[in-house]
Amino acid sequence: MNPIEQLSRRQLLVVTGKGGVGKTVVSAVLGRAVAAAGRRTLVVEVDPRESLHQMMGTPPSGGAIVAAGPRLWVQNLKPRQVLDQVVRENLKLELLTRRVLESPVYQQFATGAPGLKELAILGHALRLLRGLREPGTPEIDTVVLDAPATGHGVALLTAPSLTAEVITQGPFARMAGELAELIDDSQRCGIVVVTMAEEMPMEEARELRASLNRQVKRDPELLVVNGLYPPSPPMPAPGERENGLVSLWRRRRQLNERELGSLGESWPGPRVELPQLPLDRGPALLATLGRCFAESARSLARETP
Amino acid sequence: MSLISGRHPLVIVVGSGGVGKTTLAAAAGVRSAHEGRDTLVMTFDPSMRLKQALGVGEEAKLREVPVTLDAPGTLHASLLDARQTFDRLIERYAPDDEARRRVLENRFYQHLSGSLGGILEYMAVERLFEVAADGRYGQVILDTPPARQALDFLEAPARIVGFLESGALRVALKPWFDEKGRLKATSRWGPLGRRAERFLDGVVGMELLRDMAEFFQAFAPLFEGFRQRANQVEELLRSPKTQFVLVAGPGEERIPDTLFFARRLEEAGYHLGPIVVNRVHPRFALEGAPPPSADPCRPNGWELLSWAGERDRRGLIELAKLLSREQPVVDLPLLPDEPTGLASLDALGRQLETRVAEWERYVSRTS
Repeated sequence: MNPIEQLSRRQLLVVTGKGGVGKTVVSAVLGRAVAAAGRRTLVVEVDPRESLHQMMGTPPSGGAIVAAGPRLWVQNLKPRQVLDQVVRENLKLELLTRRVLESPVYQQFATGAPGLKELAILGHALRLLRGLREPGTPEIDTVVLDAPATGHGVALLTAPSLTAEVITQGPFARMAGELAELIDDSQRCGIVVVTMAEEMPMEEARELRASLNRQVKRDPELLVVNGLYPPSPPMPAPGERENGLVSLWRRRRQLNERELGSLGESWPGPRVELPQLPLDRGPALLATLGRCFAESARSLARETP
Repeated sequence: MSLISGRHPLVIVVGSGGVGKTTLAAAAGVRSAHEGRDTLVMTFDPSMRLKQALGVGEEAKLREVPVTLDAPGTLHASLLDARQTFDRLIERYAPDDEARRRVLENRFYQHLSGSLGGILEYMAVERLFEVAADGRYGQVILDTPPARQALDFLEAPARIVGFLESGALRVALKPWFDEKGRLKATSRWGPLGRRAERFLDGVVGMELLRDMAEFFQAFAPLFEGFRQRANQVEELLRSPKTQFVLVAGPGEERIPDTLFFARRLEEAGYHLGPIVVNRVHPRFALEGAPPPSADPCRPNGWELLSWAGERDRRGLIELAKLLSREQPVVDLPLLPDEPTGLASLDALGRQLETRVAEWERYVSRTS
C-alpha cells in the first residue's frame, strides 16, 4: 500500500532521526503530501533557529501559525510559551500567575523537569487536533511534527507514558494519559524515521527503532533514506584513468549502497529513498523532492501490495 | 596557533550534529600520540566504525581504555555517559548505604531524563575535570554532544551555580511536607496558599513534588561540594590553555549555525581556535561532462557534484567574509570513504595539521 495514503489517515506524524539528515525537509515534503491528499495539515518545527519557513517560502513564524499553501500551515513552536499558557489557564488569578511564572522554582522546573517540555509540544498538537484552539487559528486534521534529533526524539515519544507514571492526578496527568494513548495507537499516530545511507545515521536509526520497540512497544511506520548520491556511472575501461569527480561519485555511491544493503537485514518496515538534488534549500527543492517522494512511494506500493 | 601543538593541554571539539566531530577528535588524538604526548580522547557516542578503528568497546564507559598504537605517546579512549558518571558520583559521595539507596531508588532520580538545572550534563564536565586534574595525560581531547546540547553542556557549570544560588534549592530543601505528607508551607499563605496547593497538586501532582523534595534532601550533602567544583570547572573551560575547535558542515546553509556557535563561544569567554569546515565537495574541471539529466529526480553525478562543489566554495567565501581576519578557518575535503582504522585516522589528522599550517603561512604572508 502507498505509504503516503497510509500516513495521510493519521492525526499525528512524528518525524525523527539524527541531526543533519534532513528531518525538516522531509517534514515539509510529508506535510505537502498529506495536505495534497485532502487533510488540513500543520507542520510544526521545534527549533529556536527557524528553517522551515525558508523551505516553504513563507515569512518566519516566530511562534505563530502561518499559511503555506492550500490546506497547509507551518508553525515554529516555543515549548516554553505553551507551558506558560498552561499555567495561565489553570491559575485564573493574575497576581498568582505572575508570581508563579516569575518564581525561580518555576523557572527551574520549566527548563529542567523531566518530560515537561516534550509534554508541552505534544499537548499543543493534541489541543489543535481536538479543536481546542484560539480564535483565528485554522482547523487541523493532521499535525506533522519535525521532532528534535534522535535521543530527544525518543524522549518526546516516551515522555507521556513516563509522566503518566510519575504524575497520577490532575490536568497534567489526564493530558499525559491521553497523549500516551495517542502515541500507542498506530491508527492515529505515525512515526517516520529519517536517515542517510551513511554509517552513523543508519546506526542511530537502528538504535531508535530498538528503543521504540522497547519503550513504546511499536515500530516506526516509515523509514526515509535521504540524500542518496546518483546510481554509479559505468566502470572505466581497463587502463583508462578515471576523472576525480567520477571516482568520488562512485565511491560515495558505493558507501550508500553498502549501508542500504546492511539495512535490508535489520529493518523490516517500508522505506522510501530520496536523491540528493542539485538545488538550494527553498520551494523549488521542496517541489522536486515531493515528486521524488511520491514516485518512490508509488514504487514501494507496487512492490508490497 | 596549531590544533594539537601541546600548547593547549585541553582541546574541546564542538559543532552541529553529523559534521564529523567525533572522527576529527579521534584523528587529532592519534596525531597527538604520534607527537609523543600521552593522550586521552573523550567522546560521547562514537560510531561502531570509530570504536572498531580505535579498538575500544563498552568497557570504555567505565574507565579509560588504552588504544594499541605504535607511537611515542600513549593513546587512551573513554566514552562519556552522563548517567553512569552520576551513579558513580553518588556511589562515591553518599555518606552511607542508606543514603545511597535513597537517591538511587528515588523515582524522580530514575526519571531524570531531562536535566534539572543541568545536573546531568554537569556530570560529564565533572568527569572531564577529574581527568584534567589528575595530570596523567599531556593532552586531553574532548568531543562534545551535537549542537544545542553542546552549549547546554558547556553552560552546565554556570547553570548549576545559578541553580544553587537562585534560591530554588533553598526552597526545595525546605521541609515542605509534614509527617503526614501534607504541604506545610502553604497553610501560612492563607487562601492564596490553598490555591497554590491546589494548583501544584493539579498541575504536577503532590506525589512528584514529594519525590523531588526527597531527592533534593537525599542529595543535599553533595551540593556544597558541587558549587566549588563547578567554579573550578568554569575556570578550566575558560583557561587560555583550553582551546575550542569548531567543526562545521559545508555550504551556505550551514553558515548561520557556524556563526551562532562561534559567537556564543566568544561571548562566553572561551578561546576559539580554528573553525574546521569539514566534508567540503572539491571542485572539478567539467571537460567531457554529459548534458544534465532530463529527469529532475535522477540528476547525474556530474551535475550534482559540480553543483555541490560550487555551493561549498561559495559557503567558504561567505563564511570567511563574515568572520574576523584573525579567525582561522580551514577546510577539509569530503573523503571518498570514512576512516576505518588508525592509519586512515592518522592521515586525516595530518591533513588537518597541514591545512592549519597553510592557513598560518597564508596569514603571515598577507599581513
